[in-house]
Amino acid sequence: MSLTVNGRTHEIESPPLTTLLDVLREELRMTSPKVGCEQGGCGACTVLVDGQPRRSCLIPVGALNGVAITTVEGLGTPEDLQPIQAAFVHHYAAQCGFCTSGLLMAATAYVANGGTDDREAIAHALGGHVCRCTGYVKIVDAVAAAARGDEFDLSTTAEGRYTTMHTGGDS
Amino acid sequence: MKAVGARVPRYDGVAHVTGRTVFVEDFDVPGAAWVKALRSPHPHAGIAKLDASAAERMKGVRAVVTAADVPLNVYGHLSALGIPGDEPLLAEKEVRYVGQPIAVVAAEDEEIALAAVDAIEIEYDVREPLFDVRKAFDPDAPQIHEWGNWYPHFEDGYDHRQIRKGDIDAAFDQADLIVQGVYRPAAIEQLPIETQVCQVVPEANGRLTIYSCTQALYFSMGVVAAHLQQPLNKFKFVGGTVGGGFGGKVDTATETLCCLLALKSCKPTKWRWTREEEFLCSSTRAPWHMEVADAVTKDGWILGRRMITLHDSGAYARFSPYGVTKHSFHHTGAYTIPNLHFDGWVVFTNRTPTSAMRGFGVTSVSFATETHMSRIAEELGIDPFELRLKNANRIGDTSPNGVVYTDPSTVPTILAIADHLGHELPADYRTMTTEPRSGDLLPDHLVAQLGNPEDH
Repeated sequence: MSLTVNGRTHEIESPPLTTLLDVLREELRMTSPKVGCEQGGCGACTVLVDGQPRRSCLIPVGALNGVAITTVEGLGTPEDLQPIQAAFVHHYAAQCGFCTSGLLMAATAYVANGGTDDREAIAHALGGHVCRCTGYVKIVDAVAAAARGDEFDLSTTAEGRYTTMHTGGDS
Repeated sequence: MKAVGARVPRYDGVAHVTGRTVFVEDFDVPGAAWVKALRSPHPHAGIAKLDASAAERMKGVRAVVTAADVPLNVYGHLSALGIPGDEPLLAEKEVRYVGQPIAVVAAEDEEIALAAVDAIEIEYDVREPLFDVRKAFDPDAPQIHEWGNWYPHFEDGYDHRQIRKGDIDAAFDQADLIVQGVYRPAAIEQLPIETQVCQVVPEANGRLTIYSCTQALYFSMGVVAAHLQQPLNKFKFVGGTVGGGFGGKVDTATETLCCLLALKSCKPTKWRWTREEEFLCSSTRAPWHMEVADAVTKDGWILGRRMITLHDSGAYARFSPYGVTKHSFHHTGAYTIPNLHFDGWVVFTNRTPTSAMRGFGVTSVSFATETHMSRIAEELGIDPFELRLKNANRIGDTSPNGVVYTDPSTVPTILAIADHLGHELPADYRTMTTEPRSGDLLPDHLVAQLGNPEDH
């Protein structure tokens, strides 16, 4: 079968009952979706399936013929962040960073579907995503800012260069 | 103080939001074997038979490790401080908690590893478990640890942590009222979203490279080197990116066994705990049992405190003695009580071993102290803010272990809370400061405990 991820089509060798999460991480080496619980409970593996946030650990890849998958790798690059990514940086919504990918995908869908900066609506949209570092306030701040279309000067909140090496996360 | 109040750039913020932060499991180690553990289903049992030969013969199984393969099986997290070890890396003769590892398997994929675990033959001799710290001291309680049911290795041969300060009997003789309370906060799982995970690569130069999510990299290196009886220069630890820890990744959970399997199989290994293992087998914050009796006066002074603490260490000591020591130093919380009689025990039970979590040992006693302050205020009919302000730590007061406070923050903190809640206070409380005691705030019973901040 084939799978379209971030606009590019891949031939998949994994058996059809392999989870989408395992195919993304193990076969395609896209590691932004994280393995947190493998039972749909934590949200860290969330990707977009035809624009809707879905738990990739619960979906057999064989059920996905002909759909479009989006992961964080398909959002903006460090040099050209999408507004939701810039908002997460600016509002310090990522601490250790492990739940961040899933939250970014849920937030992307929320904003794309016309979500507003109403905090209750944001909390509802992000329900089921577990973050153990932030206490969620900064995450809701970031999504609200992105929903409003705020602009960010990242020179005050992010170093100019990213690194692909180990970056010590707060724990 | 450049950072306080400033917007400080994060060096990892952009990496986090572009999926480029490389966590331990994001490293691609080609050919790494999956590791799975045979774990005890019983809280307390003898191991009557253990035979891993069928598992070792299975196709796709690269190595099986049991206690017999570990150069130094029994070691302790406090061994570097000279405390005897009490915890086997792999259980040998008995198991003391549900989830305790007995054997580990490295196999070509996860399914084979699970099947190999199932193929290990084991028989248990199930024993009565102990779960309630209050029953640990009973003569007929099950004996669950070779040291007895509580940790015996505090300094100078003490079998518990004790604090004696002032004249506790005089304080209770002078009291108008004794206020008692029992406080029992439950265990808490740290619950990092990244479970325990490790990858180990045997290198051509004879060293092992260990990709670890540990919060305590050099500590883990020492633990691995001790179990393997190898010098530190045989290990290259790569860490620093932790997908949440909160104390739960201080204990060395995965690295040593991954190293042993990598050495035995001469192939890389990877062990990622399932969420179930994280809940069942990883250390938690301890449950605590705390009994407090305070000698108080009608006008709201706390003359003395008697306290007993039972810290549920689970099946092994790990860092619990350190937690109880911190607990004892903080057992009056943010308040000054001049006469103290504290006894704290590290009690063994057949629970998962407990260990660090944010504010190790202190959050439990803060909960007890603050709840107890409100209870005293209620019994005396005094405003709980005024009771706290009156007994608050001030410059020159001394902690339970005799440290002189030079910059205690109780008064400004309580005033800020009152202000935030719109809680009205009389003028003499509203204008209180943290400066040394004098006048009405220095009654006779607080004179002897004073220290000199200059001596700090």
